[in-house]
Amino acid sequence: MSFKRIAITFSFATLCLYAVLILSLLYFYRGSLFYEILISERTLFSIRLSITTATVATVFSMFFAVPSAYALSRYNFFGKQLVDTILELPMIVSPVALGAMVLIFFNTPYGMTIQRNGLQFVFTVYGIFLAQFITTAGIATRLVKAAMDEIPQRYEEVAKTLGASPSKAFFNVTLPLSKNGIIAASILTWAKALGEFGATITIAGSMAMKTETIPVAIFMRLASADIEGTVVLVLILIGIGLSILYAVRLFTAKTPYV
Amino acid sequence: MPKIELKHISKNILKDVNLEIMDKELLVLVGPNGAGKSTLLNVIAGLTDYKGKVFFDDKKMDNVPPHKRGVGYLFQDLALFPHLNVYSNIAYGLNVQGYPEKVIKKRVEALLDALHIGGLRERYTYNLSGGEKQRVAIARALAPFQKILLFDEPMSGLDPQTSKYLRTELCALLKRLEITSVFVIHDLLGAEEIADRIAIIHKGQIEQVAAPNDIFFNPRTDVVSEFIGMPNILNCDYCNILSTGLVEVVSGDMSIVLPYEGSSIKKLAIPPHDIYISDTKPPGPALNRYKGIITEILPVNSTIRVRVAIGGNNMLTELQKSAFDEMNLKVGKEVYVIVKLRRLRYVEP
Repeated sequence: MSFKRIAITFSFATLCLYAVLILSLLYFYRGSLFYEILISERTLFSIRLSITTATVATVFSMFFAVPSAYALSRYNFFGKQLVDTILELPMIVSPVALGAMVLIFFNTPYGMTIQRNGLQFVFTVYGIFLAQFITTAGIATRLVKAAMDEIPQRYEEVAKTLGASPSKAFFNVTLPLSKNGIIAASILTWAKALGEFGATITIAGSMAMKTETIPVAIFMRLASADIEGTVVLVLILIGIGLSILYAVRLFTAKTPYV
Repeated sequence: MPKIELKHISKNILKDVNLEIMDKELLVLVGPNGAGKSTLLNVIAGLTDYKGKVFFDDKKMDNVPPHKRGVGYLFQDLALFPHLNVYSNIAYGLNVQGYPEKVIKKRVEALLDALHIGGLRERYTYNLSGGEKQRVAIARALAPFQKILLFDEPMSGLDPQTSKYLRTELCALLKRLEITSVFVIHDLLGAEEIADRIAIIHKGQIEQVAAPNDIFFNPRTDVVSEFIGMPNILNCDYCNILSTGLVEVVSGDMSIVLPYEGSSIKKLAIPPHDIYISDTKPPGPALNRYKGIITEILPVNSTIRVRVAIGGNNMLTELQKSAFDEMNLKVGKEVYVIVKLRRLRYVEP
């Protein structure tokens, strides 16, 4: 067997693995039950809650990610390596551990002051947003940085020699040129926030009709042996996920100039 | 008063560089790769940190950021903005500097006309030809009324003919707009064609700054002499005008017939690679052909330099090692020397 065939066989093996998992859902799929669960108040609440918190978390993550990524991509500064390393924390530490770290923080005097005088995060919707934000901010920065690294610094130098201040060079040149990368990073960040489970359940708990996002709802239905209900929610999550991936493909399709 | 003055500049390979560039002057920086030419341009533009002082019109510029220096820069890779069309690329500098829309339109239209790219205004830059891109980049650099422009090998990606044509056109435009310009050019002949003065830079040091002819006839250091190809400089004793456009120049025991429209020549420069030697009598007329004795043989990389005494003149020739081996040349041997006048450089009285 040629090397090419071996490589292609492996790619199809991976496809088969996921296809088997998705197809196995159909074994427990009940058509009539799907619609009933989908339009139930509890499911619609989970979908609404997940989409809202994921959107807010994504906006905040990108708000921090774009300037941070630009700094990491363009400047050399004291502590750059440290910042760069810390960004990978959400990738190397399990989300549950991240959630536990947040819970522990809110049990310190500073955390308790925030909870008393500011927003109540533990076991609230704000906790979901916080969980999604801390698990996605680093990844969002990493993705935006990758997009900005692809834009040659030379464009900004040219802009400066034409009279553009550093901020004008950023907004008029670097940002438009990395637009597709930033949109793709936002979509992936949103998808990651939507599927976030470990940190969410640790910080916000699993209260039905209060802090029950789609992944939490899946866990709760599975815990109560409601397989059909679990299948419906998993299919919803897969549907949203695949739509997102398709959108990313569209935005990351190479434009003629990049 | 110099427009640009660099004092004790040090950065990477650049070591204590001093250079003065006059107002409205076109200075060409020439030197081998890695000599520090582009770094020097970056220092003038303020795109890099450096040690030393930079003055524009006697005003200290060291703490002035690039966007406030008023220095345009045409990079080797052009870096046209791919997300903007040709018109917006040219208008960019004027837009960011806050010029009124009316001024922007007038200026951009004038440059589109001057550079013959009016038909490209709506096109995006990624589907332009090399020459078209070059013209757009030149127009963009000229647009914001900069008084200093830097060019880092701007025509390097073009074929020699287009490059020469565009370079001549650009230089005429720079002179008309009275812009002080610094070019980095790899090719010495190209530099000679456009420069008011040439600066030879080698290993981060400015070896000589002078008018092109001065460089060729009075190389100040061995490095410059080597860089310009170690030309043979002949002092002319007298000239005989043979007919219109043809003159016989006599230098010691040598008499050279060459095309020349003027009245008299004081000095002649002949590069070693324009002088051929042969151990047998070459066929054809004896025009610009002499007998000489080899006085020195110097191997240099893949070529051999041979010094031949022709009467009182010592002529340096250069030939490929394979050609040298075929002829069995040695010191003291009598050879024929043929001078090919491909590119003539001379000093008039």
